[in-house]
Amino acid sequence: MKYFKGNIGYVAGSALLLSSTLSMARAQTLAMSDAPEAFKKLSLEQLMETEVTSASRTPQKWSEVASAIYVLSQEDIHRSGVMTLADAFRFVPGMQVARLDSSTWAVSSRGFNSTTANKLQVLIDGRSIYTPLFSGVFWDVQDTMLEDIDRIEVIRGPGASVWGANAVNGVINVMSRSAKDTQGTLLTGGAGTEERVFGGVRYGGKFAENVYYRIYGKYFNRDDSALPNRDPALDEWQMGQGGFRIDWERDMQNRFTFQGDIYDGNKAQWSSVSTPTSTTMLNADTTVGGGNILSRWTHDFSEESQLQLQVYYDHTHRDIPQVFREDRDTGNIDLQHEIRFGSRNDFIWGLQYNITADEVGNTYSVAWDPPAKTAQTASAFLQDEFTLIEDRLKLTAGSKFEHNDYSGFEAQPTLRLAAFPNKWQTIWVAASRSVRTPTRIDTDVRINSFVPPATTLQALGNPEFGSEKVYTYELGYRVQPLRQLSFDTALFYNEYSRIRGVDFAPPTTFVIANSFDAETYGGEVAANYDLLSWWRLKGGYSFLRLQMHKRPGSTDTTSEVSTEGSDPRHQVFIRSLMDLPQHLQLDTALRYVDRLRSGNIPSYVAADFRLAWEPIAGLEFAIIAQNLLDRQHPEFSTARRNEIEQSIYGKVTWRF
Amino acid sequence: MALLRKLLPLLCAILIAPPGHAQAPTPASREYAIKAAFLFNFAQFVEWPTNVFAEADSPFVIGVLGANPFGKSLEEIVRGESIRGHPVQVRYLRADEPIADCTALFISQSENARLEAILQSLERKPVLTVSDVERFARRGGMIRFVNQQNKIRFTINPEAAKNAGLSLSSKLLRLGEIVRTGDP
Repeated sequence: MKYFKGNIGYVAGSALLLSSTLSMARAQTLAMSDAPEAFKKLSLEQLMETEVTSASRTPQKWSEVASAIYVLSQEDIHRSGVMTLADAFRFVPGMQVARLDSSTWAVSSRGFNSTTANKLQVLIDGRSIYTPLFSGVFWDVQDTMLEDIDRIEVIRGPGASVWGANAVNGVINVMSRSAKDTQGTLLTGGAGTEERVFGGVRYGGKFAENVYYRIYGKYFNRDDSALPNRDPALDEWQMGQGGFRIDWERDMQNRFTFQGDIYDGNKAQWSSVSTPTSTTMLNADTTVGGGNILSRWTHDFSEESQLQLQVYYDHTHRDIPQVFREDRDTGNIDLQHEIRFGSRNDFIWGLQYNITADEVGNTYSVAWDPPAKTAQTASAFLQDEFTLIEDRLKLTAGSKFEHNDYSGFEAQPTLRLAAFPNKWQTIWVAASRSVRTPTRIDTDVRINSFVPPATTLQALGNPEFGSEKVYTYELGYRVQPLRQLSFDTALFYNEYSRIRGVDFAPPTTFVIANSFDAETYGGEVAANYDLLSWWRLKGGYSFLRLQMHKRPGSTDTTSEVSTEGSDPRHQVFIRSLMDLPQHLQLDTALRYVDRLRSGNIPSYVAADFRLAWEPIAGLEFAIIAQNLLDRQHPEFSTARRNEIEQSIYGKVTWRF
Repeated sequence: MALLRKLLPLLCAILIAPPGHAQAPTPASREYAIKAAFLFNFAQFVEWPTNVFAEADSPFVIGVLGANPFGKSLEEIVRGESIRGHPVQVRYLRADEPIADCTALFISQSENARLEAILQSLERKPVLTVSDVERFARRGGMIRFVNQQNKIRFTINPEAAKNAGLSLSSKLLRLGEIVRTGDP
């Protein structure tokens, strides 16, 4: 299998992306305005007794959510100094993030990490970004104006009852600010050792009274990663991206959002290329590009009832000369309706249809049969959050039902119970079933790999490949013993069946199959401590064990070791955020990542540092240093043994 | 770059074709309608230095800095009102507009990241600062709204008010929770 690992890394399969924008809906407070004149007549004392929401729904406080949720705020992202979305998740407990080379990341939640990690649902403003080719994410092309992100919500564990297949081990929701909240001009730019040069511009304005817009453009050029002997690995890359967002609050009942992005980039990328008589590592000029357009309509029937309709179109293009080419078009329509019955039931249901069509370029090394494919998914979900005891006990029950072209009908139910013994404690338990549906890589791929002197190994997709299934059991506890101190802990036990492996069919063929059962267990702790008004600490610890068990009849000889060895057992991070006099900010972070047995990657400790100065309001100068403790280190197994170097860059941001 | 070529028509399309139907009222939440009433009410319980108003009929300016969360509710509340003989005016201010001319200033959550700089620029200026930004009063602001059990309460930093030359009535101090700059 090791011969294919590299190739599967940039190749793909297909799956059904089902997304829902539940949390975005939740984030929008719905309360209708009562006549302000009525409040004007009230005294201060009377105002203090006025209920903010009159039995209408409110966005759910994250401290009451019955799942393992972590939120990265705009400030968290800004002050961590990260330049990519993938790197931001290094500061989320329970997530595994490894950078393989200059432009490749492996990101997963609760295990099974790889460049094609396939058990995570990822959305940017309601648009699913994992590719149906292999149901993983090409992290190199997932970018946005980081300054305009409002927050990133990360749910570890299953979210499939609402979010659909592939939300097996987690859901990531990147939410950008409304155009209304990003008015004015923002200029940012900088340069450094790894971030060679980068810049961005955003302008937000107003078309009319309630119609706000913003447009943005950005560019970066990133340096090579390093080989173990410190030579540059020759994998530099550059990307440009632009986009817009319009938010229109038409009236009290109707809100519209239109947004879109377009991007284009090229990267020097190494791939192993086989012919019937040779194999070579080729440095190809890979091009990537794409664009998307989305519109969303939110309608309030009443304080208790809200409808949301979202439609998007997404195009992606990737061409690795002589290895792999893919053009993909995806259309998605999503309807959801949240309705509150009485004071006890918060009911939400939704319908979704997704169609995705691809066309791939076949080569001797990597081919797909058929070379073009269209796949459709239709789904429905419903969920009720039921208050058993007011302010004390809440039960959430729901399920997603979907039909896809690969595995037919799938049901993904969940049951969650949250108890609030008092204002500062939450205890929750959950049991869920989810599936990872087959994708194009599972059923349609053919990879040839020449092994000197004269053998060609072949890996084949398997049309009989079925869904991977998992039962998840979770227990969580949140506590805020002091106003300044809070902890959030979660424990989980996952039972997987029919996990993907490659069965060996002598003498030279490997066939993708549901070869393994597996279990994972572990826990995560997140802590926040506001030590002083000017000094805050944030920390996280994650523990994870993964055990694979070969199913009877399987002849897989390699996946067990490589899968079990691809996630760090222990991870720790601690961040310090200081607001110093003279408009200075000093932020530091320490991270420990345990060793990976796969590829023999040693454990490492990384230190990041950021010093920023805001001499006048809106103008910020910052120096950021990342991976300070070593000159370079590997983070994941790669064919060329790439290592990630220390990075220092300077950045200026100006808002006006 | 091919990007620019693709981007241009898109940008043109946005800039040339602004959607119509612009005059519908902005939806504002009940929460902010209540906060707007609070804001107007606070002014009755604060004494400004006499030299704040150039003329007897100079306006009492309530500024809203950053993204406006009130919709039209603040304007509706102060419409036709005057505070101690000064007609009340609402101004919506962007980050780059001068704020020291305001009599009272509401700082929107959108300005959270710049808050320290904003407060610094108002140092010793007789402007009543109000906000619902996290830890606002402990960061040197004067009055912060806090949502508590579905009701709105407020914390007050009397020291910050005093430094700015404002005096707060004892009633206000009794109703709010008192904090000081730098309190945990």
